[in-house]
Amino acid sequence: MDLSLPAGVSPRRWMPVLAAGLSLGEYARSLVRRLAFLSAVLVAAIWALGGRGYFWPAWAWLGLGDLVLLDFAASWAWRQPRGAVRRVACVWAVVGVTAVILVFTWLLTWLLAGVETFWPGWALLGVATAGSAYSLIALQDRVLVARGRRALRARVDLLTRTRRQAVDAQAAELRRIERDLHDGAQARLVALTLQLGRAELRVHDQPEIRGLILDAQREAHHAIAELRDLARGIVPPLLADRGLVAAVESLAARYGLGTSIEVDTHRGLAPAVESAAYFVIAEALTNTAKHACAQRSWVALRDEHRMLAVVVGDDGCGGADAEGSGLAGLRARIEALDGSLRVDSPEAAGTVLEARLPCG
Amino acid sequence: MRVVIAEDLALLREGLVALLRENEIEVVAQVQDAPALLRAIAGHEPDLAIVDVRLPPTYSDEGLLAAIEARRRQPALGVLVLSQYVETAYASELIGEDTAGIGYLLKERVGDVRAFLDALRRVAAGGTVLDRQVVAELLAPREGGEALSGLTTREREVLALMAEGRSNTAIAESLVVTSGAVEKHITNIFAKLDLPACDDNHRRVLAVLAYLRVAT
Repeated sequence: MDLSLPAGVSPRRWMPVLAAGLSLGEYARSLVRRLAFLSAVLVAAIWALGGRGYFWPAWAWLGLGDLVLLDFAASWAWRQPRGAVRRVACVWAVVGVTAVILVFTWLLTWLLAGVETFWPGWALLGVATAGSAYSLIALQDRVLVARGRRALRARVDLLTRTRRQAVDAQAAELRRIERDLHDGAQARLVALTLQLGRAELRVHDQPEIRGLILDAQREAHHAIAELRDLARGIVPPLLADRGLVAAVESLAARYGLGTSIEVDTHRGLAPAVESAAYFVIAEALTNTAKHACAQRSWVALRDEHRMLAVVVGDDGCGGADAEGSGLAGLRARIEALDGSLRVDSPEAAGTVLEARLPCG
Repeated sequence: MRVVIAEDLALLREGLVALLRENEIEVVAQVQDAPALLRAIAGHEPDLAIVDVRLPPTYSDEGLLAAIEARRRQPALGVLVLSQYVETAYASELIGEDTAGIGYLLKERVGDVRAFLDALRRVAAGGTVLDRQVVAELLAPREGGEALSGLTTREREVLALMAEGRSNTAIAESLVVTSGAVEKHITNIFAKLDLPACDDNHRRVLAVLAYLRVAT
């Protein structure tokens, strides 16, 4: 049984103990323990001096021991996490203390009065049953919550996985559509204009028919141009045909910013990641060309663990609006891939766009 | 003139074949993919190959790569590359070091039958024809692109038409000016782009190509 005061507190100077930082409760508990110990010694001494005989101090010890036991059980229960667990611990502290009192009382009646029947049996069974029943009811919620959390985690995992699959499937589908537009509808329209051209050659002496044919050809040309713009908006053809690096080089050349391009990635990129990286760079270079009045601009692509890091920077006038519509659209696109976008654009100190895209 | 055609869409391929045959141009082979194109060129030794950029099996840029390879093997071969879209990078790769006998056009230009046949003949004869969209992209004003900044608007227009392979007379007609005026513009362009006064053959197209190499 631990009767000592908390570490660093002198037992002889009990009053300053409060000043040393002990709470009133702790102080009272240590006092109770000491008084119990002193009383136990005292009754034993009285019994020894009073001519011995029937060992009655055992009953006093039992009472004092119960007091100390209750103190320990209560402090143990109080240390448990708040809520249902602490309530269950309190119930079991009471059950435990009751059981110990019953068993020790029986032990004394057996030793001192010769009662051989184990009379506390039914009582022990009763309190244990009551404690168990309370625990089951009180912790039922927690069991359900734990199961709920597991289910939630599984659901988040599933959604993360299926969202990525959906994004990948969408990107692959967009590439297919781009190809179909170029090689399907657009190619057929080209064949149509060719046939119209051949027809036009044959009726060059009939101006009315020739005019109709030329009108039809013009319409076909408009349709072809619209399809081309549509396809380019979906996936730039160079990106589809030659991948990210070639597409970025072409982009940089088109803007004529003298952009330096540094590539340090060797992984094959999923279409969704490739497109997202391309559109980040395209948006950044467009902004640089439009607003930044920059002397220098650079693009870096590199592997970082399981991420592709895309960094686009310039030494222009900075002050880009990170919440602007262009960047917000990019952010949505990147977040759909569980990636991140950071924009650093202090006034008059250049702009750096940094995107991280998970590569599975 | 003997021509090989590499185009995977049957409708367009057959249309081209019919068009050429109607105009007394001999189509010696029509193929659907890059390896077949190289075999046909080696077998038939044509004057001109008309090649779609996207060919099976991957439909990316194998037509372009095959055209460049064919030119490497037979430098005298004229190559006209057709594409659903134009990329200045592709034009630059196709031209490489030698501008003679190169054409790069949007596919839909086949609809303007007379101009298309004219382009074919010019490329087969060793001329250079670039699509006006490529030229427009090259001539678009851009920051940092200084090579053309000294040209006037009219000189740019003349340069664009030159890059399409038009003759002085055609340029004069198109801009509604005299041939003499066109000559003067061209002389100014050569001077401003600092082109050497060497043989006259492709100097006109070199004016654009010099810039193209700077830009890509």
